[in-house]
Amino acid sequence: MRTCAIALLASLGLGSGAAAQTSGSSPNECVRCHEGLPEARLSAPAAAVKDDVHVRSGFTCVDCHGGNAAEGDAQRAKAPATGFRGVPRGAAQIATCARCHSDAELMRRFSPRQRIDQAAEYAVSGHGKRLAAGNATVATCASCHGAHGVRFASDPKSPVHPTAVAATCGTCHTQRSDYEKSVHFHALTKRGDLSAPTCNDCHGNHGAAPPGVDAVANVCGTCHAVFASKFAASTHAQIFTCVECHGNHAVSPSSDEMLGATAPGICTPCHGGADDLGFATAGTMRSQIERLKASIAHGEGLVERLRLSGMSVRDQDVALDEARNRLVQARMEVHAFSPSSQVEPVTSEGLQILSGVERAAQRLLVELRFRRRGLIASVALILIVVGALALKIRRLERRGDV
Amino acid sequence: MSVPEIGKGAPATPDVDGRRRAFLDAVLAFGFVSTAIAIVYPVSRYLVPPESEEPATASVVAGKLSTLAVNSGVIFRFGSKAGLVLRTPEGEVRAFNATCTHLDCTVQYKAETSQIWCPCHNGFYDLAGNVTSGPPPRPLERFAVNLRGEPGDEDIVVSRA
Amino acid sequence: MRQRALKWLDERLDLGGIRGFIAEKTVPVQRHEVWYYFGGLTLFLFMVQVATGILLVLYYRPSAEEAYESVQFIVAEVEFGWLIRNVHSWSANLLMATVFIHLFSVLLLKSYRKPRELTWLTGVALLFLMLAFGFSGYLLPWNELAFFATKVGTGIAGAVPVAGTFLMRLLRGGDEVTGATLSRFYGLHVAILPAVTTALVALHLLLVQRQGMSVSLKDEHRARAGVPIPQRPFFPNFILRDVMLWYIAVGVLAALAAFYPWELGRKADPFAPVPAGIRPEWYFLAMFHTLKLLPNHVLGMEGERLGVMAFGAAAAFLLLVPFLDRRASRGEDSPLFTVIAVGGLLYLVVFTVIGYVAA
Repeated sequence: MRTCAIALLASLGLGSGAAAQTSGSSPNECVRCHEGLPEARLSAPAAAVKDDVHVRSGFTCVDCHGGNAAEGDAQRAKAPATGFRGVPRGAAQIATCARCHSDAELMRRFSPRQRIDQAAEYAVSGHGKRLAAGNATVATCASCHGAHGVRFASDPKSPVHPTAVAATCGTCHTQRSDYEKSVHFHALTKRGDLSAPTCNDCHGNHGAAPPGVDAVANVCGTCHAVFASKFAASTHAQIFTCVECHGNHAVSPSSDEMLGATAPGICTPCHGGADDLGFATAGTMRSQIERLKASIAHGEGLVERLRLSGMSVRDQDVALDEARNRLVQARMEVHAFSPSSQVEPVTSEGLQILSGVERAAQRLLVELRFRRRGLIASVALILIVVGALALKIRRLERRGDV
Repeated sequence: MSVPEIGKGAPATPDVDGRRRAFLDAVLAFGFVSTAIAIVYPVSRYLVPPESEEPATASVVAGKLSTLAVNSGVIFRFGSKAGLVLRTPEGEVRAFNATCTHLDCTVQYKAETSQIWCPCHNGFYDLAGNVTSGPPPRPLERFAVNLRGEPGDEDIVVSRA
Repeated sequence: MRQRALKWLDERLDLGGIRGFIAEKTVPVQRHEVWYYFGGLTLFLFMVQVATGILLVLYYRPSAEEAYESVQFIVAEVEFGWLIRNVHSWSANLLMATVFIHLFSVLLLKSYRKPRELTWLTGVALLFLMLAFGFSGYLLPWNELAFFATKVGTGIAGAVPVAGTFLMRLLRGGDEVTGATLSRFYGLHVAILPAVTTALVALHLLLVQRQGMSVSLKDEHRARAGVPIPQRPFFPNFILRDVMLWYIAVGVLAALAAFYPWELGRKADPFAPVPAGIRPEWYFLAMFHTLKLLPNHVLGMEGERLGVMAFGAAAAFLLLVPFLDRRASRGEDSPLFTVIAVGGLLYLVVFTVIGYVAA
């Protein structure tokens, strides 16, 4: 291992100048020979390395496989004296990658921001532990990152780009189909929100393992912090976690229908019967939220009608936004799951705002009616003039001017 | 003296006729003048610019510089949406669309930590509008800020960038 | 006071001729007198349009991004903006109605006959100008209905033979209805059309003043038989009646603005599908519905094209009526043209009604 490292460093020292130029300048008989081979298994790597980040930084086949890149003859290029290692698999693969990626000084020369603890993390992961126990089919570095044609994780074509992680993990794990039904997947892929979680955001990256039951709320809470803190203070937190109501992989959009004892409410498995406090609380919270929703809809209808009539409703638009904010907040407050939760105060605030909107709308309607009366007064004035004119004309003509 | 019967065909005595004519002329004059006022008054009010000078699709005055303290923020109305104008601890004035990019709640300025905060789900933004923690997926939309007016009495004019 | 002012002007401008003209001008007393006021009423309503139009121009913004918002601003924020806008919209409709009444009364009374052919020509030209005003102005609020009505209307212009596509591109300012169309229609509505209209109205009025008010054929026969036509002074009798009618028009406008205010509609979205049952304003409805009813292909031509050509021929016929109606020019009764006029009127009324009901 040490000699390989020294040899590697030496070749790097020699090759670093060459690395600044394109990889075509130093002889690479490996690629030249392999890309001409008819068997896809042997020729594909040679084609793939052209897009590889390692190759672009000046590394070549021999840095991972050993061998002699300058030797044209297949047998001599892979003679034992060259240090040829063949295809590293399992623990050998981890070691091959870690040789550089766990070397802080080396990584600092090529990618100072990159972490160097991937191998250490892997060792404590579900994959790593099984590998150590002798399971040869478990994922190793190349299973996720590829071996040839490795790209940065930020490259959309990389198998470990956030949008591709689920598919990569899904080659072995069936939870992928569940995850692809979730709101997180939808946000990630359809709405382009790269901050939405995929497998590694909840399970860890190289140290991947399912979170323990007591850690689930923490994991969800890294993003859904307010919900987690409300929930943690509730009695429910002592009994179950986020997963029981919202799922873990197939997290579906929440709806107000989930709250309540009547289907599709999810409180019934535990709470039932009119004398159950939870049952009653759920019903109360739900009715408060529904009331706010109905009031918002009513306010929106009023304001829209006034807007189309040409009244100035901008202040009411802002107020409606505020009321909708309260609805969002109320749905969050539900997670305290307690009769003393903040759902009622928040919805009351929303209802108050909406009654303000209602009052303003009534004032605008009065204004509309006032205009009508003003115009009717003008019409009356006009009729007086018309009547007087008619009389005047009659007088003129009776006097014999005709 | 016969009672004047207005509207009857037969002409009345010159005296009454004169009074009738004067009355009619007075009504006519009153009618013309009042209808003229009923037209001129609305037109002259129309010509006076209203308080919100423009359809406000592009820019709006968010307030006076003198009333915006250092390390504070104020919500103002931009069209039919809420905006946030703030003054950093260094004194610079910035303005953002106060609609949180997560679920459209209205954000507020948190002076204790000099951050922008959304109370709905605890989203935090820094003073450049970038998300520092919480669920918001995108930074806050930033508006252009200009100061206009006499020094000491400047208006903060916020416009879409 | 009034006398002093008049004397001051008289010393400088020699108002003697005008004052004499006004004092002595008479108007024949007619049986069908009411119809003779519609010309003046049309002029009055046009003046109302110019005045309210100028007021609207102070706040309106002719760009696709701002037009709708500026109209909303006028109606919601500007004091009495709703009144100015409503009067402008309603007066436009009233104006179109009086224009048609004026047209048909002249047509049925045969006032177009010699020596008033020029007056007729300028009048028909003014009719077309008013229709152009209506069409161009309708787009300016940039709401859904206006946008699609313009799309359909300019599309019909494309059915004109030979120059159709060119004409459509000229109207639209491009291949589609866009902000370019709005700019164009705005220029037409506030600059080009008013300029041409002013010139033609001046000419029209000059001719009417020069030639005096026409009389019906029956009265003309009686005059030729030696029975004099009773006259009435223009000032103040006719003028007062004119003013009375104008006041009634203002009252009607105020009542309409109060009870049937115009809505803003929704802002135009060029990428939304055409709303079902789209149709133009009532003064285009008969024409539009006729085109809709025509079969797709007639006589080897596109139905729409044939319809457009037919309307073009009708317009040409209308222009040439004084020259085609030889009998009226000779001062004789002309029942054929009466029938044609009544037929035209019935067609317009019936098809407008059908167009409404069909929606």
